[in-house]
Amino acid sequence: MKPGTKIARLLATLAALSLVAAACGGSADDAAGSGDGDSAETSSASGEIFISGSSTVEPISILVAELYEEVAPDVFVDVTGPGTGDGFQQFCNGETDISDASRQIKDEEIANCEANGITFTEILVGIDGIAVMTNTANSAVDCVTFENLYGLIGPESEGVNTWSGANDILGDGLPEAPLDIFGPGAESGTFDSFIEIVLEETAEERGQDATARSDYNPSAEDNLILQGIQSSDTSLGWVGFAFANDDVKLLEVDGGNGCVAPTAETIASNEYPISRNLYIYVNNEKAAASEALNGFVDFYVNEGLDSAVAEVGYVALSEDAKSEVRAAWNG
Amino acid sequence: MALTTVGGASNATRRVEDEIFRRGRDLKGTSFRSLMLSALGVSILILIVLIVDVFVDGWSVLSTRLPDFITGTLRSQSSSDALGISQGLLGSLWIAVFVTVLSFPIGVAAAIYLEEYAPRNLLTKTIDIAIRNLAGVPSVVYGLLGLFLFVQTNNGNSTLYAGGITLAILVLPIVVITSAEAIRAVPSSLRQGAYGVGATKWDVIRTQILPFAAPGILTGSLLSLSRAVGEAAPLILVGAITGRLAPRGGSFVSLDQLGDRFTAMPIVIVGWVQESGRDPGFAAAAGAAIVVLLALVVMMNSVAVTLRNYFENKRG
Repeated sequence: MKPGTKIARLLATLAALSLVAAACGGSADDAAGSGDGDSAETSSASGEIFISGSSTVEPISILVAELYEEVAPDVFVDVTGPGTGDGFQQFCNGETDISDASRQIKDEEIANCEANGITFTEILVGIDGIAVMTNTANSAVDCVTFENLYGLIGPESEGVNTWSGANDILGDGLPEAPLDIFGPGAESGTFDSFIEIVLEETAEERGQDATARSDYNPSAEDNLILQGIQSSDTSLGWVGFAFANDDVKLLEVDGGNGCVAPTAETIASNEYPISRNLYIYVNNEKAAASEALNGFVDFYVNEGLDSAVAEVGYVALSEDAKSEVRAAWNG
Repeated sequence: MALTTVGGASNATRRVEDEIFRRGRDLKGTSFRSLMLSALGVSILILIVLIVDVFVDGWSVLSTRLPDFITGTLRSQSSSDALGISQGLLGSLWIAVFVTVLSFPIGVAAAIYLEEYAPRNLLTKTIDIAIRNLAGVPSVVYGLLGLFLFVQTNNGNSTLYAGGITLAILVLPIVVITSAEAIRAVPSSLRQGAYGVGATKWDVIRTQILPFAAPGILTGSLLSLSRAVGEAAPLILVGAITGRLAPRGGSFVSLDQLGDRFTAMPIVIVGWVQESGRDPGFAAAAGAAIVVLLALVVMMNSVAVTLRNYFENKRG
């Protein structure tokens, strides 16, 4: 049976390839283990921890996991980031130990958790500003008010295709220029936060639904939003502060107390008006039962908050806020 | 006839050729030819642009730390020396094993039954059409199937075997179709000759049909393997890890990891492209990962071509 032997030979080739991969993989792990400093004492805890949820918080959790691995080499932490909502669904089904979230848990999600007998602890880990931005070539606009943003992006702005068109709805002072809007899609936590912080209050006053116009260019990928901003000279868009780079112009925002530019300092001090909190949610029962999970969260609220949050580009909590979080977790 | 009498045969032939092929005269023919040529040019150009683009993106990684990159792991920051794709490669190789072990034997056996044993009736025709339709079903649908069959029944735990079996099912119809086509292309004189000298059905399939159809079967099967290795959508649904997969030690060949969480090359690439907004260094890593995946697929395809040539030579 000739084809059979050929397939067998192919299988053998694949197996050989895989052995090579295994050999290489092993050496990489060794190198990672031995190359790290051993400032902290090694924990004997062992077990697996599974973290899912917000892709915004994902890099913080990955970095904390990497740091924790040096302290507790027998704890295996896997992190994935399908989104805050998907994460809570898994969390409330008991599939995950920790849920990353770029917003607070919603009432219906709490109900879902309760229905499955799951109690949790909410831990504030950092702050992410939302940057409003335009093309670097756009020198006509430096600062926008919440009113301007409502006129540009709010539910009544459907069909408005110039910046000055927003002056007719609410706010004033915007120049006559074409308007191309790029932002995250409705499934994104950044979209929800922007609506909630910037648009909701005004929309309610004016008897409108708290939502954005539907005729902008939504994208689930922050990169594509940034590329869109760069593609048009008078573009407008919003994205998480950690994702904004030097290729776009960040606008100052006036939330009622004057124009404030987004920087790590103004976001941490709440001077910059559009910021949101980043959380992790810990499954209480699993934390009580697992030394590994409990130790990991201890590590998260101590070393994690001190170093990891800022290192991956988000704004770390103030010292007071950190002590509050630590006290809440330990108590 | 009239032409030959005027100026000799060779002269006349040239004049007729001139009439037919002269530039400007056969306008439709010339424009059709250039249209075809430009179609080919566009396809090749797109390919070149894509390849150059990923090479340029990934060059800073490929040129400086390719071995480390292949053995490294998923990290939070692109500047990490330990950043790499070993876990993605591992997942993709395991997926290849699943496809090879599950889809190839089942698919080829099903094709042999359909072509050689099954009676031609309404039922087999329906099955035939159903398989063809299955081959065209979008891959996310297979992802949903995998999610319900292998993840939700397992308390929501995403495992390597869930991903592997899902992709094996995804390419199964393609293996059946290509194998059936290859078997159908076997000349019936071969069969009749074998029956004529007293061979049984099993003898005919074993000694005539399979050797003759082997090049086609192999080509189809290995191309479907490349497809499985490049799929991202079903794996996202089945729950491949995007962020961090803890290195658990142990060797590749240990079967324990079949029940562990997993990731694969296309997922690693998608994850890094998304991360590149926050940390631009991930763009280079993603480019390099694409180049490695391309190399892997080209390797698989060249195995397919080599095997096909080998069997074709043998057959000839």
